[in-house]
Amino acid sequence: MTNVHPESVVAIARKDFQDSVRSWVFWGLSTFFFALLVTTTASIWYFADDPIFGAELTTGVLVGVTSSITRVIIPVIALILGWKAIAGEWESGSMKVLLSLPHSRKDVVLGKLLGRAVVLALSLVIGFALAAVVVAALMGGFDVVDYVGLLVMSIIYGVAYVSLAVAVSAMTKSTTIAGAGVFGIFLLFYVVWNAAFNAIQLLVQFEYIDGVEYTTEFQGEEIELLRLPDWAYLFDMFDPGTAYSNVLTLATDAAEIEGAAQIEADMFHGSIPFFLQDWFSFVVLLFWILAPLAVAVYHFERVDL
Amino acid sequence: MVAIALEGVTKRFHDVVAVSELDLVVEEGEIFGFLGPNGAGKTTTIDLMLDFIRPDEGRIEVLGRDVREDPRAIRQRTGVLPEGAEVWGRLTGQQHLEFAIDSKGVDADPTALLERVGIPEAIDRKAGGYSKGMAQRLLLAMALVGDPDLLILDEPSTGLDPNGAREMRQIVREENDRGATVFFSSHILEQVDAVCDRVGIMRGGEMVATDTVAGLRESLSTDTVLRVTVNRLEADTVQAAEAVEGVSAVETETVDQPTLIVHSDGSKTAILTAIEETGVEINDFQTEEASLEEVFRAYTTAETTA
Repeated sequence: MTNVHPESVVAIARKDFQDSVRSWVFWGLSTFFFALLVTTTASIWYFADDPIFGAELTTGVLVGVTSSITRVIIPVIALILGWKAIAGEWESGSMKVLLSLPHSRKDVVLGKLLGRAVVLALSLVIGFALAAVVVAALMGGFDVVDYVGLLVMSIIYGVAYVSLAVAVSAMTKSTTIAGAGVFGIFLLFYVVWNAAFNAIQLLVQFEYIDGVEYTTEFQGEEIELLRLPDWAYLFDMFDPGTAYSNVLTLATDAAEIEGAAQIEADMFHGSIPFFLQDWFSFVVLLFWILAPLAVAVYHFERVDL
Repeated sequence: MVAIALEGVTKRFHDVVAVSELDLVVEEGEIFGFLGPNGAGKTTTIDLMLDFIRPDEGRIEVLGRDVREDPRAIRQRTGVLPEGAEVWGRLTGQQHLEFAIDSKGVDADPTALLERVGIPEAIDRKAGGYSKGMAQRLLLAMALVGDPDLLILDEPSTGLDPNGAREMRQIVREENDRGATVFFSSHILEQVDAVCDRVGIMRGGEMVATDTVAGLRESLSTDTVLRVTVNRLEADTVQAAEAVEGVSAVETETVDQPTLIVHSDGSKTAILTAIEETGVEINDFQTEEASLEEVFRAYTTAETTA
């Protein structure tokens, strides 16, 4: 990218880190991630012999359970960390001081993203690192690769939401509007996206939208079934939360459900489309980092300050 | 060399014209005082010079570069004290200056800078606890980082007591002696009068006068002020008086009776005739000597028509 100056981006990120982060937020987040991992591990270990809920304490199970919680929690943390990043500088009257110094506007957006992303990433790293000691002690075969995979994907997932929040913050001079904007993002991915996907499923069931027929084997018998059209799956894959869950199977060994792969193969006549493969979910997460950033930079470079 | 050049610059906000066909040249090495009442378009002009906002028409060059092309390179060599800007509450004085030093990629001593602006004791305190005057001094110190070739100070005396304002002017002189060009805006005449080589007076988005301070004094000695009391004001009375040769400014007052205050170095009779021709009756008139303050006021006071 042109007009990006690494030294400016780092200077702004450092300033932002010093200015925006109260130290208790940082340590609070680290403690929270530590507690989350330790509690989850201890719960799995405690209930391991339970006939209904019990599961063997492995890193794979830990990743599965933890990620179902972080999938919901990380976006909220990231949106809260990011929403004031740029609009807040307007509200406090310091934006002109920032831009009087030799930074391009792109530097400002990138520096802000970096500053806020580092807060989230560092607290995740500290929480995970401290918890690793306890987790490894409770667990027989601790798989470092899976554990680090969960950490790295959680950081990328979080940065995507920080990027969304910073982008919203770059679109307005009012923190009230920015706040409404990130709440809108929250609703979009927690409610609207799922609701839309469910609606598509209903529309296919009631034949308002053409589904695709396929045959599969069920308990030794061939049966005819109907699935959604490809674009509906593509749409579903773009939900960052779905992408996060999917990508964890790429980064870790979180087990796939027995037989699911076979059914999937039957649905698409043997060749699974690229967007349903796990690596595509990783691309989706990168998309949610870069696309909001691109929109924010485009707007922020053109607007009258 | 030219430090700042504006050519036919116009800026509109929706349908309001904030700056209209502005031409301005500031030479390298001069201290230029940019005067005008609040709302005259001074900050808009400065924002245009810094590429914070973009002109609808015209060209702006600062330090020999088009501001639209490489604003970052210009800001590298410029120190800016923006109007009404706030410091970062959770950063200390030291951290503010380190940010400016890192941003410019220069070597500078935060302690020496804060000593220069008179608040060395505040170096380790968070700026959220600074008084308005201290915050303004800190921002001035940030503007001085890296010995810039151009200093743009927008209402720098805001929040300063008379003593602080004097110290600020002293720094402006020192920076100028070092070789820096200083562009200095204010709505108060005395602050500019004492330190500037040349002043521009802005009103209603237009530059109504550009001259040396000596030149302004000169025009003052030949200018006379004519107070014309009339029975009423017609819509075109003011324009008619302004159109007379030698008239530099026309103000109106409607305290007791409608009064026109005309600044002119030309014929009194021509002014009186022009006023009468708009259909109003002249009750009385008298001539006064103008002070520098009055010249400025005449240039900068918006017309008030009853």
